[in-house]
Amino acid sequence: MSPNEQPTSINPNANANALKIRLAYRFLHNLNNLNTKRSNLDNTRINRRSHRVKIAAYASMASVVGSRRAWSRSILWKIKKQGVLSRNKKRVDRVTSTLHRHHHVHLGSKRRSRNPKREYYVDPFGNSGQEVKLRKLVPGVEMMNACALLDETADYIKCLATQVEVMKTLVDLYSTI
Amino acid sequence: MSSRRSTGTPRITDEQIIELVSKLQQLLPELRNRRSNKASASKVLQETCNYVRSLHKEVDDLSDRLSRLLSTVDDDSPQASIIRSLINN
Repeated sequence: MSPNEQPTSINPNANANALKIRLAYRFLHNLNNLNTKRSNLDNTRINRRSHRVKIAAYASMASVVGSRRAWSRSILWKIKKQGVLSRNKKRVDRVTSTLHRHHHVHLGSKRRSRNPKREYYVDPFGNSGQEVKLRKLVPGVEMMNACALLDETADYIKCLATQVEVMKTLVDLYSTI
Repeated sequence: MSSRRSTGTPRITDEQIIELVSKLQQLLPELRNRRSNKASASKVLQETCNYVRSLHKEVDDLSDRLSRLLSTVDDDSPQASIIRSLINN
C-alpha cells in the first residue's frame, strides 16, 4: 500500500503504475465531487473552474501520499485552509478573489512567524540561490536541511510527473468524443 | 564549508549529498540520458528547478483544458458512464 517502503530496485515499473492508478482514482473522485458540488457554471467562470480542477489535482496528489511527506502535508493544509475560508463566506464571487489574496498573505506571514530571527538554511552547495529557488518551488520544505530537501524534491517530482500523466490521459479520453 | 550551521543534528556528509543528487538526476528527463554522474550538483539543481516549474505549468495547462472539456461533456455520453463506473468501483 505504500510504494515508498517497497524495494524500488526490484520492480520500479510496478510501483510507478500502482501510484498512477491510485492517483487516477483519487483525481477522478475529486473531479466528480467538483462537478456535483457546483453545477450550472457558465462560460464566464471558466477560470474559476480551471482553478478548481487544479486544486483537485494537487489535493488528490497530496491525499494519495497522505501525511508521509512534508510536501503533501503542506498542500493538504493549504487546501484545508482555503476550504474553511470559503465555507465562512457566503458569496462565491468574492471568495475566489479574496482567497487568492488571503492565501498569499497568510502564507507569507506564516513563513515569517516560523523564522522570526533565523535565516533560511545556508547553502552547502555554494550555488547562487539555486537551493533557495528550489525551496520556493517545492511546498513544505522551508525548514529542511539540504539532504531532506533533495529527498523531498525527488518524491515531489515523481508524484507530480505521475499526476501530469494521469491528467494527460484524461484529456485524451475526453477529447475523443 | 564553514557556512554550515550547527543545529545539533548530525552533520550532512558529502557522500549523502552526492547520492541524493544522483538520485535526483535520474528523475530528470534532461539529464537521465547522460548515464553518467558528470552533471554537477549545480546543474542538477538548476534542471530540477526548471523541471518543477515546467511540471507546474503543465498542471495549469492541463487543468485548463480539462475544465473546458468537462463542461462540454454531458452526463449521457459513454465516456461519462465509463468515468462513473470507475469512480464507483
